Amino acid sequence: MVTRVSRALRLQQRWYRFLSNREGVVAFLLLLMTLVLGTRMPTFLSAQNILNVARSFSWIAVAAVGEGVVLLTGGIDLSVGSTMALAGVVAALLLQGGTPVAVAVFAGLAAGLLIGFVNGSLVGRMGLPPFIVTLGTMSVARGIVFGLTGGWPVRDLPWAFRVLGQGDLPFLGGRVPVPVLILAVLVLASSLLLNLTLLGRYIRLLPRAEPALHLSGVDIGGLKQFVYTFSGFMAAAGGLMMTARLGVAAPTAAVGYEIDIIAAAILGGASVAHRGWSLWGVLLGAGLLQVLRNGLVLMGVHPYWQTGVVGAMLLAAILIDYLVARGSQVGE
Amino acid sequence: MGLLRRWWIWAGIIGLVIWLIGSGPRSEPPAVGGPRTLTIAWIPKAMNNPIFELGYKGAVKRAAELSGHGGPDVQVLYVAPVAADAAEQVRIMEDVIVRGVDAIAISCIDPVACKYPIDKAVKAGIPVMTWDSDSPQSLRFTSWGIDNYRAGQVAAYLLVRAMGGRGKVALLTGVPGAYNLEERIRGFRSLTSVFPDIEIVAVAVSNEDINLGVQVVEETMLAHPDLNGWFFVGMWPLFAERGAMPLWESAAQSGRLKTVAFDTLPVELELLRDGYLSGLVGQKYWGWGYETVRIIYEHVVLGKQFPPFLDSGMDVVTRSNVDAMIRAWKTHDFSRPLPNPFKPDPFRPRSYP
Repeated sequence: MVTRVSRALRLQQRWYRFLSNREGVVAFLLLLMTLVLGTRMPTFLSAQNILNVARSFSWIAVAAVGEGVVLLTGGIDLSVGSTMALAGVVAALLLQGGTPVAVAVFAGLAAGLLIGFVNGSLVGRMGLPPFIVTLGTMSVARGIVFGLTGGWPVRDLPWAFRVLGQGDLPFLGGRVPVPVLILAVLVLASSLLLNLTLLGRYIRLLPRAEPALHLSGVDIGGLKQFVYTFSGFMAAAGGLMMTARLGVAAPTAAVGYEIDIIAAAILGGASVAHRGWSLWGVLLGAGLLQVLRNGLVLMGVHPYWQTGVVGAMLLAAILIDYLVARGSQVGE
Repeated sequence: MGLLRRWWIWAGIIGLVIWLIGSGPRSEPPAVGGPRTLTIAWIPKAMNNPIFELGYKGAVKRAAELSGHGGPDVQVLYVAPVAADAAEQVRIMEDVIVRGVDAIAISCIDPVACKYPIDKAVKAGIPVMTWDSDSPQSLRFTSWGIDNYRAGQVAAYLLVRAMGGRGKVALLTGVPGAYNLEERIRGFRSLTSVFPDIEIVAVAVSNEDINLGVQVVEETMLAHPDLNGWFFVGMWPLFAERGAMPLWESAAQSGRLKTVAFDTLPVELELLRDGYLSGLVGQKYWGWGYETVRIIYEHVVLGKQFPPFLDSGMDVVTRSNVDAMIRAWKTHDFSRPLPNPFKPDPFRPRSYP
């Protein structure tokens, strides 16, 4: 009896361990989906489709990396969608006025940094709840976007800017979309920041050891301020990539994208309950959502059902997160 | 209490509040109607949709035309929620009732949510009409707008004509379930079902988002490489710059893919002129303001009665008359009727107004 119970417990623990290796689960699901879709729909694995998916996944992934770091520290950033739109509109308006591309891009990024800095100051320095703060800045940023554009999309952007979203570069005999290259650079830089610097170590320790960090003299408020500013910067970068891809900065752009971005980050394992967060997990999460959506369209699934399927996927991820949290408590 | 000492924070907050109050709802001019004034509250669904600006300009123009002929001075009060929010629109309706305007012209976000404030206004002696989006169960005296079902049929006619009566068609809609879009699709299907060689192979959803629209159009092009026709039930992906939809663009340029879209905005007119689109069906945006102000004037001042629904008709644009529409946008003069879109006109479709 005892052996049977202990065997069952061991099995349960092994199951939790598998689930808690979030990257493994998401990578497995991604592979499975690719195989199923690839065999059922030959066009799924065509170069054109892979390039399309990679391109449209890049800006969600960039923003999800920033969001993931915020979620890791126990916060949330709801303003990412509005920040994406704001960065795009700021850059587009400057470009229309004849500003050089580099300056316009810098201004777009600065707008994102500013929104992130405000979020971080209110959450980190004044101790306000992140949900309320970022809900507020979400509306403020969207309001600024509408005010700046008067509701009209900003068009006629120069090719030197659009190449950031529409361009391809030759790579190993094939082509790589420029936004995917930008994603790679940003992920690499973020990875170095989080893994090789003292700041990154503190951020990774924050959810588990906030009191200890505080006692050892680490500026917790400043740390949180940095995390939200980082999220604002990444959202702005994503927004610029999307604007460049579409060639238009619409005031209604990225409405509701915070859901996709948070979903990608949670799928990748970024939550307080789960302690093994990684950048690759977030990338895989964003990839999984994009491939799922793409597959549903290619297979001709009726649009009414598509939203439900994506929602079910997110619920499943949250359920897994809950099970893992409970499992780790059982194991302890 | 440290916060209280930071006087600059409080100064900033007070300054912001004063600025917000100062930049409140736009009215032109802001006075409330007196005996020699007819103040019309003109309420679109949202401030964030620029297409309503054109309607507002039409309303102001008609108000200026009607004023100063011995009758009352006509003034237009432009108020709306920032984003399309039914509850906020109801609140705005109640505000203008309290303010005591002489008439209300509204485009309802939700026909049911709109009924209560409309009835309340009418009982308070304020006549109400709807435009663009109706609330048929309410006490409004009339409604002026497009017949979406018939507009869908006209779009189908344009597309079938361009495709030569045969081929595979895909539809792109906005938010699934939106009544006006579903009516357009129903009308479209009713006409294409008459043609046995026309097959609808896909319905894609853009959620009224440019980015998603671009993605699903390209994905549908990949899933159906032999596609011959698109009906964009709204114009969402066409806002994107050229180069954003390479598969759609190359197929459209080669001539094997025909596209008909809803709305007649300048960006679409350029695409039509350059051969990417075969036809456009649009609402009378200018008339949303220009005609509603006239109808209200005739109803309130001259006592004229109107039927419960007034069909606004629609603008049908093809390469034959696209230049006239481009001119109308440049001059903001939409009062002249468009030239015949079908040149030569082989037969006049039954459904065409």
